[in-house]
Amino acid sequence: MIYITQSALNDWLNQIAQQRILIAPVAEGSSMTYRQVSDSSEITGGFDRPDMGIKGAFLPATETLFTIQSGNGSYTISDNVPADEQVIFGVRPCDSRGMLALDALFIETEPVDIHYARRRQNSVIIGLACSTMGEYCFCTNLGSSPTDNQGADLFLTKSGSGYWLDNITEKGRSLLGTYAIQQSEPAHSRPPEIEHSANASLPDLEKWPPLFADEYWEAVGERCLSCRICAYVCPTCRCFDIRDETLPTAEDGAKYERIRCWDSCLGESYSQVAGGHNPRVAKGDRLRNRMYCKFYYFPQQHGPIACTGCGRCVEACPVNIDVTEVLQHVLEATL
Amino acid sequence: MSDFAVAPDDVNILKPLLGELSQVKDIGTEIKLLGVNFVNGGEDNFQNYKPGQFAFLSAFGVGEAPFGIASVPDEGPTLQFAVQRLGSVTTELHTLGAGDIVGVRGPLGNWFPMDDFKGKNLIVLGGGIGGAPLRPVIQTILRHRQDYGNLTVLWAARNPSLLIFKDEYNSWREAPGTALHLTVDTPDTRWDHNVGLITDLLNRIAPSPENAITITCGPPIMIHFVNKMLVEEMGFKPEQNYVTLEARMHCGVGKCGRCNIGDKLICVDGPVFTMAEVGTFMESIS
Repeated sequence: MIYITQSALNDWLNQIAQQRILIAPVAEGSSMTYRQVSDSSEITGGFDRPDMGIKGAFLPATETLFTIQSGNGSYTISDNVPADEQVIFGVRPCDSRGMLALDALFIETEPVDIHYARRRQNSVIIGLACSTMGEYCFCTNLGSSPTDNQGADLFLTKSGSGYWLDNITEKGRSLLGTYAIQQSEPAHSRPPEIEHSANASLPDLEKWPPLFADEYWEAVGERCLSCRICAYVCPTCRCFDIRDETLPTAEDGAKYERIRCWDSCLGESYSQVAGGHNPRVAKGDRLRNRMYCKFYYFPQQHGPIACTGCGRCVEACPVNIDVTEVLQHVLEATL
Repeated sequence: MSDFAVAPDDVNILKPLLGELSQVKDIGTEIKLLGVNFVNGGEDNFQNYKPGQFAFLSAFGVGEAPFGIASVPDEGPTLQFAVQRLGSVTTELHTLGAGDIVGVRGPLGNWFPMDDFKGKNLIVLGGGIGGAPLRPVIQTILRHRQDYGNLTVLWAARNPSLLIFKDEYNSWREAPGTALHLTVDTPDTRWDHNVGLITDLLNRIAPSPENAITITCGPPIMIHFVNKMLVEEMGFKPEQNYVTLEARMHCGVGKCGRCNIGDKLICVDGPVFTMAEVGTFMESIS
């Protein structure tokens, strides 16, 4: 662990931004998101959690999977596999930890998703410890903490006017090897050790199946507007749609692209087949599916739970559906 | 966890192969049998596909949808699909003719364990377009007729024009130890077979569960009532009863999250299940 000043950090980020895509928290109007910057001066300091996570840097809201060009009786399919190197700075622990759930699905479960995997391979995540818990944050209920460095390659902890910089992975070491950073004498003592809290509010897996037929789901689902904002702001919700778009082309023939874009199981037609059958017609069925996916299906299929306690869904929900209340209900339900 | 490497030969699992429509044939009202041959290679992927597996067909510019493969590799390199015009992709596929290009991605999913069925009596129940993935089961049995016991096919549709593979009924009937029973909900004036639901037909045929396997595909409601009758009224055990399930899906490889029924993904855990497995699903299939 080394100590760096704010100006050393800025110089280092400016070096990186000249050669790689640098993504960092930027405040725009009343919201803060991670987006590409060309200079460290664009980065918003402070410790508020950005309103959107970093999922989009690996699974963009819309991306082209390949293009198809037709003409003169022949068709050509061109891959569109991303190759850009990107560095994502200022990543909050809930967002870096969310990558572990996405990795478990897209990389560690065969077959590998090449678009996600390439971006992941070509990215370095520079985490930043939160100094406080936000109003909606509940990472400490799920065994994490504001100083959890899981999923980060490098990890910064604010200390006085500078930062402690911790090297977590080989990728982090490699980035420091490529772009030298000026180290300083620490003006302050080392930051406290990383803390992990107990899984205080996470129900055991076996709590879930007996509650599947609980009337609770219909009651909570009654409020749901099926607007899907909870899934879009979620660092781990990853369901996607695949569609074709027709592109303009000057040449004879036609050009199309196959895109994938974010989708969510809360949408009414999400599971409806062409013949009309829909296994989850009721809103309560769909809300239950999302909660079971996060805390029961996903951990069984891929390992980690699909929730990092970022609280964005709680904050964004227009009808105050609160995942912490759902977890509390499951914990307290007597079977 | 983020220090992983991706092998350079990792493929784009969502990219289809190019296929040329070598055959386009009307086999029912709004139902076409499409034959597809690969144009730039791809035969290797499909050399040993199995009865019950599915593939995605692309109508470029409109999209991609999954279809049960309705052929067997032993019959030649042409893949066949029975496509009913219902949604945007099938509507576009219905506008294509011989020589037109489509995308093909697969084969995907699990399959009927045909080797395990050897020596057993087989009862195959198909409803409407749900008969498509059962045709390879029937073809496999008929090609290796001596390996299997009696074959009883119960084939149903809403009306006669929606019955698929009519051209093959005589060859099914003529095969040794094979019976074909047809039924429709709404007959026309020329109809001289059964009238009524497939469960009425099943009730009348009353197959014995002794050394038998059933295989059902059709609308969810049909799968439900057929299997209820088999178990509750005819003495079949759920593990004797196989089904293949339909779900909306976009990736077919367990990533897009769309096709789950409870903690099962129809695309990679299925589409073929025994009713004993279906009985453990957290969500209902119908």
